[in-house]
Amino acid sequence: MRRIFFVALASLLTAGLLLPLTGSSVNAEDLTPDQAARVKANCVSIKNSLSQLHASDALLRVNRGQVYESMATKLMDTFNDRLAGNRLDNKAMTTVTSNYRSALTTFRADYIAYEQKLSEAIKIDCTTQPNTFHAALEDARTLRTKVHDDVVRLHRIIDDYRSSVSDFLLNYERVST
Amino acid sequence: MEEKPSLLPTKAALAELSFWDRHRLSLLLIITVVIALVMTVISVVIYNSTGAAQLDLSRPGYRSVSDKVEKTDEIDTYSASGAVNKDTIQEFMKLYDAQATKAKAVDAFNGDPLNPEVLEFSAPSGE
Repeated sequence: MRRIFFVALASLLTAGLLLPLTGSSVNAEDLTPDQAARVKANCVSIKNSLSQLHASDALLRVNRGQVYESMATKLMDTFNDRLAGNRLDNKAMTTVTSNYRSALTTFRADYIAYEQKLSEAIKIDCTTQPNTFHAALEDARTLRTKVHDDVVRLHRIIDDYRSSVSDFLLNYERVST
Repeated sequence: MEEKPSLLPTKAALAELSFWDRHRLSLLLIITVVIALVMTVISVVIYNSTGAAQLDLSRPGYRSVSDKVEKTDEIDTYSASGAVNKDTIQEFMKLYDAQATKAKAVDAFNGDPLNPEVLEFSAPSGE
C-alpha cells in the first residue's frame, strides 16, 4: 500500500515537473509541411511585419494609456471629489470609477503579457523552428485579442460613468425642486 | 646624526594586522561592485515586471515611433473644488462628453494582424 502511494506521488511530481516543459508544444497545432516551408521562406518578411507591429502597438499603448489614465485622474476623480466636498452622494460614480481603474489595471497587465509574447516570437528563429514560432505567434494573437477586449471594456465603462452622472443630475434636480 | 622615524608600518606591525585589515581596500571595492550588481539586477527586474519596459520607447526597435508620442495630454481637467449645482454638473457633462469622444476615437488593438493569412503563410502567395 505504502509503495503504491509513493509510486503515485513520484508519478505526480514527475508529471508536474515535465508538464511546463511540454506545454508550449501541446498548445498550438503544428504547421503542415507546406505552411512550415512558407514560414521558412518568408521568415525575414514575417519578422519585419512583426517588428513594425511591435513598434506601432507600443506607440498605441503609450498614447492610449495616457488618455485612459487621464480620464480617471482628470475627470472621474475630480468630479467625485467635488461631489464629496459638497457632501453629495457620489457612490454610483465612485463604483464606476473603481471598475474603470480595475479595467485599466487589467489592460496594463494584458498588454505586458502580449508584448512579452510578441517579443518572444520575434526572437525565435523561424527558419529552424517554424512550429515553435507559429505557437508563440498564436499565443500572441490570443493575447492581443484580450487587450482589444480590455479597450472595449474601458470604452463601455467611460459610457457607464456618463450614465451615472446623468442619473445623478436627474436625482439632483428632483431633490432641489 | 639622528635617524628620522619612518611613516611606513614596520614588518612587525604588518604581521600583527589581520587578513581583513590588510585587504580593506580590496574588500571595499569588491563589496561596492557586488552591491552595484545586485542593485542593477533588482532595477532590471522591476523595469521588466512593472510594465515600464513596455512604455519605454527609447529602446532599440522603437526609435521609428518614439517621436510620434503625444507630448501634450489630450484630456482637459475638471476642477475638484467648487460648488455643485445644475449648471456645474451640465458643464462637467459637456466637458466629459468631449473628452470621452477623444478617448473612444481610436479602437485600439482591433483587427487581427497576427492572423497567419495576414502574415501570408497560411496559403500560397499565388492563391
